[in-house]
Amino acid sequence: MKRAIAWLGDWWFSPAPAERLAALRIAIGTFAVVWVVGRTSELSGLARLPRAHFAPVGVVKLLDGPLPRELVILIAIATAVLLLAFTLGVAYRVTAPLAAAALLWTLSYRNSWGMPFHTENLLVLHVIALACAPAADVWALARRKGSPPATGYGWAIRLLVALTAATYLLAGIAKLRIAGLGWIDGELLRNQIAIDNLRKALLGDAVAPLATPFLDHPSALTVFCGLTLVLELGSVVTLLGGRVARMWAAGAWAFHLGVVLLMNIWFPYPLFGFAFLPVLHAERPFSWLFGWWRDRRQRPRALGNAPPV
Amino acid sequence: MTVLARLATVVRTRALPAAISIVLIGATLWPLVRQPVDDDFPLSTYPMFAFERPTRMTMSYAVGITRTGRRYLRPEIVGTPEVLQARAIIERGIGGTARERMALCSQIATTLREVSEFDDVVAIAIVTGTHDALDFLIRGQIGTEIERVRCEVKR
Repeated sequence: MKRAIAWLGDWWFSPAPAERLAALRIAIGTFAVVWVVGRTSELSGLARLPRAHFAPVGVVKLLDGPLPRELVILIAIATAVLLLAFTLGVAYRVTAPLAAAALLWTLSYRNSWGMPFHTENLLVLHVIALACAPAADVWALARRKGSPPATGYGWAIRLLVALTAATYLLAGIAKLRIAGLGWIDGELLRNQIAIDNLRKALLGDAVAPLATPFLDHPSALTVFCGLTLVLELGSVVTLLGGRVARMWAAGAWAFHLGVVLLMNIWFPYPLFGFAFLPVLHAERPFSWLFGWWRDRRQRPRALGNAPPV
Repeated sequence: MTVLARLATVVRTRALPAAISIVLIGATLWPLVRQPVDDDFPLSTYPMFAFERPTRMTMSYAVGITRTGRRYLRPEIVGTPEVLQARAIIERGIGGTARERMALCSQIATTLREVSEFDDVVAIAIVTGTHDALDFLIRGQIGTEIERVRCEVKR
């Protein structure tokens, strides 16, 4: 038992470059900033709705009723500013927890109007995890001087991977708990696709491009259902890292693409790859970008020092 | 450094990150002990796509009445870009008193007046329709509809 715990500890705390964790902070933080800024007008619109439509979830359950519109917008702007500081790594120990708390509040408030979405849960969990980690030791403005943490950076990246895996695992388990193994036969998903697209049509939204052909020939949905359950229940393989984790991420991304084509439901966080960045070498594009930027800044200076021809 | 001292150092340095990891993973998995229908945010049971649903559905929605026919309205005109929230808004509005129904209709008409794409709409009707999703999507068959409230779009 002791040996197993020691092995688990060594594995969880195995090293990873500080740059990788910093890259995740920058990428996920940028997504969060853009997401919150993009939701501001919607939050403003929601604030105009009658009080009866307010159905608080999560931390927003603390409220008895909706907040005034001006306050909702002010909180959304403050959230975006804090997330920008989080992304840039400014006074990280202070701004990161505040940014995570503000994001949790703002998105919980957005989900408190009749129907919780499932598109933002992982983003919030990732930002909270990053806020608890030393993610601004490199590639940060006004970073704290000091020696690297004794526990390194690998545990935080592994935590992000575990959170991604956990959310997909929960989705798979929910299908088994609610529908059982019969979910695989495809009929239940066919009805879901049909009802969802009908609802979209009646509410003036676009019907998914592959919905009608698949509804007309439902046998293909059995394959889609089987693969979905394998992906969701098998999400824990991402903790192994390496090629297996990357293959799972590719499969999960393809699943989300399938959901767009069949139901026109967009999960932007995984669809744009951010949910799967923790299983990749996320620092590589940033290293290239920062290297290119350094070279670009140094080149004119070098030319300026050159002797006249 | 003795083995014991080294162990103490490991425990001291790793305690906080380990606690953070356990709490966050535990919280994320905590919905497993709740009923799958007991959804929340951000700690969700992720019950989407899991429920058995009949293909015949009754729901309320707003339509724009034009001089030649009618048009389905975008969810933004109801008050949100999200389809599911738009549906919840209409269902709650339609479940209220006659005055509340008219208030919802007028609110939609006021929003629509500002959208040039719907210039041809002269009135809003909120209807409750019953459709078979497969008939509607594959064969284009519209089911039955009952008009619940109608209001003019004042221009």
